[in-house]
Order: sequence, then C-alpha cells, then structure tokens
Amino acid sequence: MDKLLRKKSNIILFLAPAFILFTVVLFFPICKAFYYSLCNYKTNYPIEFAGVDNYVKLFTKDETMKTALKNSIFFMIFSCVTQLLFGLVLAALLTNIKKGRNLFKNIYYLPCVLSSAALGLLWMFVFTPTLGINKMMESLGIIENYADGPQWLFNTDGFIILPIIVISFVALWQYVGQSMMLYMAQISGISSDIYEAAAIDGCTSTQAFFQITLPLIKPMVATAMSLNAIGSLKFFDLVYNMIPEGFLGNRAHVLATHLYDQAFKFNKLGYGCAIGVVLLIMCLIVTFLINKFVKVESYE
Amino acid sequence: MNVEIDNSVVEKDKNKRKVVHGLIYAFLIILALIYLLPLLWVLLTSLKDDAILMTSPWAFPEHLMFENYSYAWTMGHLGTATLNSFIVCVTTLLVSMIVGSMAAFAIAKLRWKFSKLTLTYFMIGMMIPIHCVLIPLFIQFSSWKLTNSLVGLIIPYVTFSLPITIYIMVGFFESIPNELFEAAVIDGCSVPRMFVHVALPMARTGFMVTGLMSFVSNWNELLLAMVFISKEEVKTLPVSLTKFVGPYHTNYTQMFAAIVIAVIPTIIVYCIFANQIVEGLTAGAVKG
Repeated sequence: MDKLLRKKSNIILFLAPAFILFTVVLFFPICKAFYYSLCNYKTNYPIEFAGVDNYVKLFTKDETMKTALKNSIFFMIFSCVTQLLFGLVLAALLTNIKKGRNLFKNIYYLPCVLSSAALGLLWMFVFTPTLGINKMMESLGIIENYADGPQWLFNTDGFIILPIIVISFVALWQYVGQSMMLYMAQISGISSDIYEAAAIDGCTSTQAFFQITLPLIKPMVATAMSLNAIGSLKFFDLVYNMIPEGFLGNRAHVLATHLYDQAFKFNKLGYGCAIGVVLLIMCLIVTFLINKFVKVESYE
Repeated sequence: MNVEIDNSVVEKDKNKRKVVHGLIYAFLIILALIYLLPLLWVLLTSLKDDAILMTSPWAFPEHLMFENYSYAWTMGHLGTATLNSFIVCVTTLLVSMIVGSMAAFAIAKLRWKFSKLTLTYFMIGMMIPIHCVLIPLFIQFSSWKLTNSLVGLIIPYVTFSLPITIYIMVGFFESIPNELFEAAVIDGCSVPRMFVHVALPMARTGFMVTGLMSFVSNWNELLLAMVFISKEEVKTLPVSLTKFVGPYHTNYTQMFAAIVIAVIPTIIVYCIFANQIVEGLTAGAVKG
C-alpha cells in the first residue's frame, strides 16, 4: 500500500501537468516581468537594460501615474471602509431574520457573479444625463432640465473627481455581497451557546453584536478587507467600461488602465511591466499590513 | 432566574420586536430593489425602440422590439462572441478540473516529502494579480503564435483557475478516509484507477463548486482577453461588449440588448446553482 503511494512515477504523472502549466504560464512570466521592468523595451525594438530608469520616470515625471495612484488608493480606502460597514450591517441583519434570508442573500450576491464589463455599461447608461438618473430627476421635478443635473461621469473638478466617486459606489453595489457572505459564514459558525449564556446574563441583542459577534469575526474582517483592498487595486473593467476613452483626459486613470494604455496603446512594454510590479508590491504590502493590524489570535 | 415575568413587559417586548423586524424587512426590500431595478430597466429598455427611449427612458415599452436582439446578435457579433465564450469556458472548466484534481490528489493522498511545499507554490498563484504577468505572457504567446486564438486564452485561464481548484480539491480528498484506498490497493487497484474509481466519485461536490467558480470568473474575464484577442471571430463576450462603450454608438437600445445577452447565461447558472456558487466562492475567498 505504502509503496504504491510512494511510487515516484505516479507522483510525477499526477503532478506534472499542473506543475508545468503553473511554472510556464505564471512563475516564469512573473520573473520576466521583474526583468522587463528594468529594461527599455518597446514593441518592435530590441530590449535594452536600463536599470531603474522606468521606476524613476514612473515616480518623478509621470503625472498620469500620480493620478492613477491617487485614484487607486482612493478606491482601496473607500472599498475597505464601506464594504466593512455595509457588509457587516447586512450580515448582522440577515442573520437576525428567518423568512427570506436566502432570497435576500442571493439577490445581494448576484452582481458579484455578473460581468463587470456588462454592469459597467449598464451603470454608464444610468448616469448618462439624457437617459438615466438626471432624466428621472427631471420628471420628478427635482431639477428643471436633465442637463442641469450633476454631470456624473464627466465632471472633472476636485481632488477626487466625481466619476471616480460614482464608480466606487457602483463597485460597492457590485461587490458588497461578497463581504456580506464572508461575514455571514463566520457569524453562523459562532456557537449559539454563547448568545444564550449572554442573554441569561441580561445582554441585549445590540450588546451581543458588539461584545460577542464583532470580536469573534475579527479574523474574517482581515480576510475580507485584504480581498477588497487587492480587488480595488486591480480594478479595471468598471473604469474601462464606464468612462469612454479619452473623455476625461488622464484624470480618470487607475493603475490597471494606466498599465494597459502604456503597454498596449503606446507600446511601452517595459514601462508597463514596471507599473505591474508596483501594483504587485502594493498588493503584498497592503495584505501584510491588514493582516498585521487587524488580525488577532482567534478566540476559539 | 426570575420565573414570574410581568405580562405587560413581555407584550411590550414583543411589540418592539415586531417594529424592529418590520424596519429590517423594509430596509432589506428597498436594498433588494436597488439591486434588481437596474437589471429590470435594462431588460425593459432592450425591448424598446430608440425614439421612445429618448423621450421617456423609464416607461414601459409600447411594443416589443425583438429586432434589437437580432441586431446585437448578428451585427454586434455577439452571437460569435457567445459561442467563443462558451467554448473557452467549458474547455477551461474541464481541463482545469482534470489537471487540478490530479495535482490535488498527488498532494493530499500520495506520500512524498515536498507535498506541503508544492501546495504553497500553487497557493502563491492566488496572490498574484493577472496584470503583473499580462505583458510577459503576451510577448511569449505572440512569439508562439497563440494570440488571437481560443487556445491562447484557454491556457492562461486554466492556469489561473488551478490554485483555487487545487486548494478546494485538496480539502475534499483529505476528507476521504485512507481505509478506502487501502481496500482498493488490496484488491489490486493501480493508483490511476484508484483516482478515477475511488477518489473522483467521492469528491463530486468539490467538482461542482470549483467548476462553477471557474466558469463564472472566466466568463467575465476582460483584461487578458482584450489584450490577447483583436480579431472579431475569436473575441469573447466581455471583449465584444467594450466596443459598445462611448458616445459614438447611437443605437442605445441595441446596446441594452447586448448587456442582456451578456448577463443572461450567468444569471441562469446562478439561479440554478446559487447556493453552491456562494459556498464555493466563500471557501475560495477565505483562503485568498
């Protein structure tokens, strides 16, 4: 028995396909991305090693990179905070009701499985003045003419421009179901004995939520938060599909769209790789920080 | 504990509870409307004609314009795109399940020194954003002439589905008692046969979960497909949708039809398998 399960040929046979694919399609390209990011590499030109030139340019000369960083970090903070709040509230409410819990849960989770590309188009229409919200406000008499309403996707004033804020709300709408689900999974794992004991001691359900539920789901807060943070740093589909190209100049860029433009529109492959590496490092740092500061030893 | 409880206090408590429950339900229903109304709006609008959309975008359509769909399906190339998406997603699903469960079996049940280390190696894949490997992968695949082909999409999709598939399947295989395998060995069963006849049937739920997840995420994937594919004949659905973005299109209603075409398959899959999808995505996310 043992001999059969230790046989090298079997292990190789079972592992090889996954291992080879993973190494060729993921591991090597990562290493190459690091290398390219140190090169002056444009489509149809030979590769030249350039040291940290790309990174210097990225952080000192590139105005679009500043905007992209600003917007991406805004997305990240916004989604971490709002998803934590709304996700927790929804999870708490849903665990407190009996009828229709599954129905509501499934409705709120639905957009998570739909294509961001399609949902981006949908919300672009909702925020188009001639069609969506402004027209509705007009017919309700809130504003006189749809053109007077806010230019949801075209206003470029302010430090964080309105379109970015609109998109971050759409992202909240789309992905809050995931945070909710994670918290619900964790809450349903808490033994009901604890709540019963607390109720006997005269604990109200609000108190129970803050004193029992919150501390016990803290490890999940770390997980959900790092997911949100990484997800919003990687943000691409919604931004790309809600803001027509070239409409806001460079003001609505995020890291992923900047990478895409540099590498595949302006053919600066090495430069694009540098952005990718920055993105990867940011993801790792954020995950590390969240796990360090939010995660505590689990209680049970 | 106090056995005698004042009746009026209980009554008051009950009423308070009712009000609180009513408020909770009201909030949940309003929120559910915020989730469902935009989708319904798209469905309704996709059946209108353009002139009515511009004058009263929130009204019901007077007569149903199914032409919008046939236009988006043929002229918008969404028919081809849907077919491509199906081919890519189904193939990816099958291949990643076979390859992933084989690796998971080797990690969970075969006995060798580096199984934990190998699992860690695969798990690294979950932390890496696709953006980071996009450019090197594109350069590599163009030199192999794999861009603008469905195979060129399937290979990276399978790879990106592997970490989560392996993670979930390892969990399922580990829960199968070793005695079953021992019995199979005594009966003279080889390891590959054991895998097919003992391990796979026991892990059916795992396949369900990983399969659905890989289907959903690949069906929606945009960035990689956009970079790898430029020919109309091999575009997948999300890529085909992007050309509807922007003010240069005047036929709004057809775009709404396009949105419906793109989300209907996932909505159907979701309605049938909602609970499994939710369970799987949660399990996967927890690891992530």
